Amino acid sequence: MCGIIGYNGFREANKVLIDCLKRLEYRGYDSAGIGIIGKKLQIFKEVGEISKLEKEIPVFDGDIGIGHTRWATHGAVTKENAHPQLSSNKKIAVIHNGIIDNFNFLKEDLEKKGVKFSSQTDSEVIAQLINENYKGNLRDAVISTIKQLKGSYAIVVVCKEEPDILVGARKESPLVIGVGDNENFLASDISALLKYTNRVKYLDDGEICVLSKTSIEVFNENKKEITKKEDIIDWELKDAEKSGFPHFMLKEIFEQPDAINRVLLGRVSEIDRTIKLHEKVEELLNYDIQSIHIIACGTSYYSGLVGKYLIEQLTNIPVFVELASEYRYFGTKNEKSLIIGVTQSGETADTLAALREAKNAGSRTLVITNVMGSTATRISDAYILTQSGPEIGVAATKTFTSQILILLLIAFKLAALKNKLGADELSKYIFRLKELPRKVREVLDHSDKILDIALQLKNVKSVFFIGRGINYPLSLEGALKLKEISYIHAEGFAAGELKHGPFALLTQITPVITIVTRDNTYDKMIANIGEVKARGPEVIAIADENDTEIEKHADFVIRFPGSSSPLSCIPIIVILQLLAYHVANLRGCSIDKPRNLAKSVTVE
Amino acid sequence: MKAVILAAGEGKRLRPFTETIPKVMLPVANKPVLEYVIDAVKNNGINDIIIVVGYKKEVIMEHFKNYKGVKITYVVQDKQLGTGHALLHAKSHIKETFIVLSGDNIIDNKSISKLINEDSKYSILIKEHPNPSKYGAVFIEKEKLREIVEKPKEEVGKFISTGIYKLPKTIFGIIGELASQGIYDLSSTIQSIVDKGEKINTIIADLWRDIVYPWDLIHLNETMIQRTPSSLGGTIEKGVTIKNDVSIGRDTTIYSGCYIVGPVIIGEGCEIGPNVCIFPSTTIGNNSVVQPFSQVGNTVIMNDVHIGSGSVIKNSVIGRGCIIENNFSSIDGSSTIEIEGEFKKLEKIGAMIGEDCNIESNVIVKPGKIIGRRCNITSLKIIGDNIPSNTKVM
Repeated sequence: MCGIIGYNGFREANKVLIDCLKRLEYRGYDSAGIGIIGKKLQIFKEVGEISKLEKEIPVFDGDIGIGHTRWATHGAVTKENAHPQLSSNKKIAVIHNGIIDNFNFLKEDLEKKGVKFSSQTDSEVIAQLINENYKGNLRDAVISTIKQLKGSYAIVVVCKEEPDILVGARKESPLVIGVGDNENFLASDISALLKYTNRVKYLDDGEICVLSKTSIEVFNENKKEITKKEDIIDWELKDAEKSGFPHFMLKEIFEQPDAINRVLLGRVSEIDRTIKLHEKVEELLNYDIQSIHIIACGTSYYSGLVGKYLIEQLTNIPVFVELASEYRYFGTKNEKSLIIGVTQSGETADTLAALREAKNAGSRTLVITNVMGSTATRISDAYILTQSGPEIGVAATKTFTSQILILLLIAFKLAALKNKLGADELSKYIFRLKELPRKVREVLDHSDKILDIALQLKNVKSVFFIGRGINYPLSLEGALKLKEISYIHAEGFAAGELKHGPFALLTQITPVITIVTRDNTYDKMIANIGEVKARGPEVIAIADENDTEIEKHADFVIRFPGSSSPLSCIPIIVILQLLAYHVANLRGCSIDKPRNLAKSVTVE
Repeated sequence: MKAVILAAGEGKRLRPFTETIPKVMLPVANKPVLEYVIDAVKNNGINDIIIVVGYKKEVIMEHFKNYKGVKITYVVQDKQLGTGHALLHAKSHIKETFIVLSGDNIIDNKSISKLINEDSKYSILIKEHPNPSKYGAVFIEKEKLREIVEKPKEEVGKFISTGIYKLPKTIFGIIGELASQGIYDLSSTIQSIVDKGEKINTIIADLWRDIVYPWDLIHLNETMIQRTPSSLGGTIEKGVTIKNDVSIGRDTTIYSGCYIVGPVIIGEGCEIGPNVCIFPSTTIGNNSVVQPFSQVGNTVIMNDVHIGSGSVIKNSVIGRGCIIENNFSSIDGSSTIEIEGEFKKLEKIGAMIGEDCNIESNVIVKPGKIIGRRCNITSLKIIGDNIPSNTKVM
C-alpha cells in the first residue's frame, strides 16, 4: 500500500513530484522519497509526511523522476526501506506498490550470486533483479524481471544509462498513465495528476509502458505493442482541495446531499414511478438468483451488511456478506449466485482477488465503486458508479452513504423485478428516496447540536454502540468511525447480544449510544436501554424526531428528521459521522490522516 | 488586484429563508446572490478573492468548492459587529489596492469595470434609490464624496452607497483605529477619511440590487431571469409547448402536455408534468417535482420541492425542501404586511413558505402570508395569518 508517481516532461521534476505526492498522501504517509535523473541519478528519502520531505529536500536539477509515499508492509519505517530502491551499482531506481510473494526466494538466489542488499523490502529485489537482467535495454530488462515476480506490483523504473525514459508495469496494483503535451505521467491514482492533465490511459495487468517526453508506448509481456484508448476524467482539481473546511472529512460530510443527488439523478423517477439501472446491471438482476454474496473489506463491508438487511427485507433472497480476504479462500462459489463486490477505489486487492475467484467459479459479478476505469470495473460483468468524486479523508463518508444508497436501489429494483413490491409501494419508496438529500441537509443544519453531545464523549475511554436489525451494522460503522479518527476504543454490538458477554465490559464510565427506530424492534430496544441504565452508564439515543417516548429512557437524544423507515439509515449514518468528527476534533486528532491507516488498501 | 467580499451576515429580515442559509446564498434565477458578485469580479479579471464568512459558512464553502478556477480564500468573522470589522479580517491577505463588495447585493460586470479602471486612490460605487433612508445616504460635491450618513432620519438626496469601494491597503490602519474606539462600520471609516481631506471619487453603478424582505426575492427574480440566456437540456417529451426564453437543466424531464411560457428557468434533475402550465418569471430549483395539472406563475420555487397535482401558485416563494400535496392554492392579491413596526402595502403578492414545510392536500394560503420553516399543515386548512417556524397547524 503506497502511492507512486513518475514524471517525464519539461517542468522541474522535483516540484511536480512533491506536488503530486501530496495528493497521494492518503495512500500512506510513513515515509517518502524521490529519485531524479539530471546529470546523475539523485535520490532523497525521509521518514515522515511529505511536508517533511519537501522541507528537507535539496535542489535537484532534472526533468525526469520518480516519487513514492510509503505505507510499510515489508520492513520497518526507516530511510533505508523508503523508496526509491536502488540496485547495488546505483544504476537502476525503482518505486513499487504491492507485495512480492516470492521475494525471499528471489533474494536468496541473488545473494548467492553475490548481490548485497541494503534494505529489508521486497521492492529492493525488483531493482536488483532488473539490474541483473539489464543488457542495454530497460524495457526488456523490466519484461524479463516481471516474468520472475509472483505477487502484486505497480512499478516505475528509471535507469541512469537511459536518462530519457520512464518504464512502468503493473499487476493487481493500480497504475495509470497521465497524458500531457510534451510531458507524461505515471501515477497510482489519477486524482494526483489533475493539476496537470485530465487525459488518461489505463494500463492493464501484465502490461509494460515506456514513456518519453512526447511518446507513450505500451507492450504486453511478449513485447507486442498494444494500442490504448485515451479517456478524459471529469473530476476537477478543486474536488481534491479543502475549500475552506478545516478537514477533508468535514467537507466530504457536507457534500453528502449532493452525493446522494448524483446517485439518484437519472435513475429514479417520481412521475414514471421507476428505478432505472444500467442495462447490463438490470440484465444481471433479471437472472434466477438464488443467493447474493456481497464481498468487501472495511467500511465497504459494513455498507454490505446494511445492504443485506435491505435486500433480504424487500426480496427474501438470502444475502451473505463476506470479508473479501476470507471469501476468496473459503466462501462458497456457484453459478446461481450473484456476487456484488463493494470497493470505493475499485483497486482493493482482496476484493479484486475474490471477484476473480467467483468469476472463475461461474458466478455473475457486479461491482459498486467510485472510480471509473478502475480494475474492478474491468473484471466484473457490470458495475455501478457511486459518482461521489474523489474522497480524500481516510475515514469514508460520502462514498459509504452512496454505496448504501446503490445497494438500496438494487434492493428496490430486484423487488420490483421479482414482483415482491407492488407499484404503489414502490412509488412510496421512490418519494422517500427523493426526500433523502433534504433529510441529510437537516442533519447537517444541526451539526452544532451533535457537537454538544460530542463534548460528553471527549474524555471517555470506551464507547458502546448498539442497535437491532439494520441499526446493528450502523452501530458497527458508528464504532469504526469513532475509533479510527478519535482513537477512543469503541465497539458496536447487536443490542440483543449485550447480555451474552459484552455486559462484562460495561462500566459506569462507558457511554452507550443506542440507535432506536420506531419499527418492530422498538420495545426491545427500550428494554435494552433499561438494562444498560441499570448498570449505570449514560445512554445517548439516536431517534426519530416524532418519538416522544425516548426522552424518558435516554440521557441525551440526537434526532434524525422524519419518521423511521428503512431509508432512515442514511440520515443516521450522517449523525454518526458528525459525532465521530466532532469528538476527534475536540481531542485534537489528525482527522484526515489517522495513524497507521491508509485510504485504499491495494495490498492483501 | 484582489477582491474582498463580505458574506458573514445572517439577514434576519429575510427569515424564514435565512434560518439555515446565509443571506448571500439566497437564490435569484437559480443562482445564489454571492455567485453574481463573484462572477462580476471574475469577469473583470480578478481571480483572487477573499470571502469573509461567518453565519452558516459551510453552505458557502460547499457551494463554491469548484468555482471556475477562481482562487477563494475564506476568513471567518465569528461575531458580526460591522462591515469595517468584517473587512479587518482580510487584512493579512491584502498587499496593495483592492476592492471590497458586499456579498448580498447583485452587481453587474460593467460597474466593477468602471470602479477598477478609475484612476484614483479611493472610489465608491453609488446608486440612485427611491428610499435612501434605509441605506447609507451619500452627498456629492463635484463628483467627490462629501458625506455618508447611515440610515438618515431626514429626507436626503437620491444617492446611496452600494458598499462597494476601491481602497488602498492603508485603510486597514484607519479601520483598526476606529475599531479600538468601538466604531465598526465601514461608512464611518470612509467619512473619517473625507474629513481628513482625502478625495473619494463617486461612480454611479449600472445595475445594483438589494434584497431586504422575503418578497424582494420575487421581484429580483423577475429582473434577473431576463438576463439569463436560455438553454434546453434534459428530456422534453412530445407534445410540450415552449414559448420565449426557457432554460431547462440536465437530467430534467418535461412530460407531455406541458405549456411553458418564458422567461422561465427550470434546474437540474426536475420532473415536471404531464400537463403542467408554467408562466413567465418562474424559477424552479434543482431536483424539484411539479405534479400533473398544476399552474405556476411569477414564482420562485427552490431546490428539492415537491408540488402536488392541481395546485395553483402565483407570485410566491416556496423554500427548499417543501413537500406540498395536491390542490394547494396560494391566492395572490394585495396585502398589508407589518414588518419592524412599519406597515407595507404590497400588490399582487402570494404566499412565502419557509424551507422544509410539509403541507397536506387542499390547503389555501391568503395573500402575503409568511409561513415559517419546518411547519406542518394538515389538509383542508385556510391560512390567514403568518405562521412562525416549527408550528403544527392541525
